[in-house]
Amino acid sequence: MDIASLKKEWTGFEFDTADFVVEEQEMLDFALACGEVEPRYTDATHADFQAPTTFTSKFSGRRILPKDFPRIAKRGGFDAGKCVEFHAPVRAGDTITGASRIHDIYEKTGRSGPMIFIVHRMEFRNQRRELVSIVDWRMVQQP
Amino acid sequence: MILDLHNHSVASDDGRAKVENYCQWISNRKLPLDGFVLTEHRQFDQASDYRALEDEYGLLVLKASEVETDYGHVLVYGVNEDLLHAFDFTSINLSLELVIKEADRCGAIAVPCHPGRPKVGMCAHYAERGPVEGVSVIETYNGGSRGDENERALELAKTHGYAGIGGSDAHIVSHIGRYGTKIDREIKDEEDLVRALRDGAFEAVTWT
Repeated sequence: MDIASLKKEWTGFEFDTADFVVEEQEMLDFALACGEVEPRYTDATHADFQAPTTFTSKFSGRRILPKDFPRIAKRGGFDAGKCVEFHAPVRAGDTITGASRIHDIYEKTGRSGPMIFIVHRMEFRNQRRELVSIVDWRMVQQP
Repeated sequence: MILDLHNHSVASDDGRAKVENYCQWISNRKLPLDGFVLTEHRQFDQASDYRALEDEYGLLVLKASEVETDYGHVLVYGVNEDLLHAFDFTSINLSLELVIKEADRCGAIAVPCHPGRPKVGMCAHYAERGPVEGVSVIETYNGGSRGDENERALELAKTHGYAGIGGSDAHIVSHIGRYGTKIDREIKDEEDLVRALRDGAFEAVTWT
């Protein structure tokens, strides 16, 4: 598989958007699941109450990959984790829009042989169009 | 001095450690390291400047690369402009022979790493295709190796008369300093390191 061509053809354009209305209880649940102890994350009455910085990593778009993206995996694939870049707090009642694009496609080799990494980037903005976070989700495909 | 010769920072796609946090960890834990080398995957990080951290923590922070070849992964020390133009660091199909030859020509040195590891280590490829000319140093102690993988590396070094270095292969902060390389002279920069490795003036060490 020619990764350079694949990358040229499929990276950089937005292929999906999805809206999420943030509720107070899910912020509290997320903070609890993360083991947060800071009151601004765990106490809804706190003056600076906000979601933990990795909160938007819980959201998925309607599509994982663009329509007609070629099938790469022959041996299978797995989730290689998410990386969150925090920009601004998410507050209860915010409407967050996540816009998806393929940010990068690259190859590497490991114990299990060659792997192709697809980096799905979601940019999250609030109802004021302020950037709140960027989440890079690495998906591994084994050709 | 003792340097940990194999580590990855957030500049690598799978690295989760910031260089400053490595420095803090070494300093706070009083690890017996005088410095470490960043060997980012499939690239050479030209842009980063760690001189301020070196001064603050009294540590030497050098830069190198880990590239991918037909005989597994290879650490390249002494990367310079000439070498960056000699082959594509992002490729996963480089020829080990080419990497060794070009490193030599450009004043660098290529050191196959974690040789005992399946697929990405040299041992399995040697068993299938025989040895490669020009290898003089391999990584005999690798912090990310499992089971008997380091024993296999030591055996390979013994069989072929290779010298051995030690590196933690850290991707997270707490993994730095698992292995190191004791060098019998002062190292101030990447060129000094290449000279020491070429001279065989070192040994792999561990204290864990």
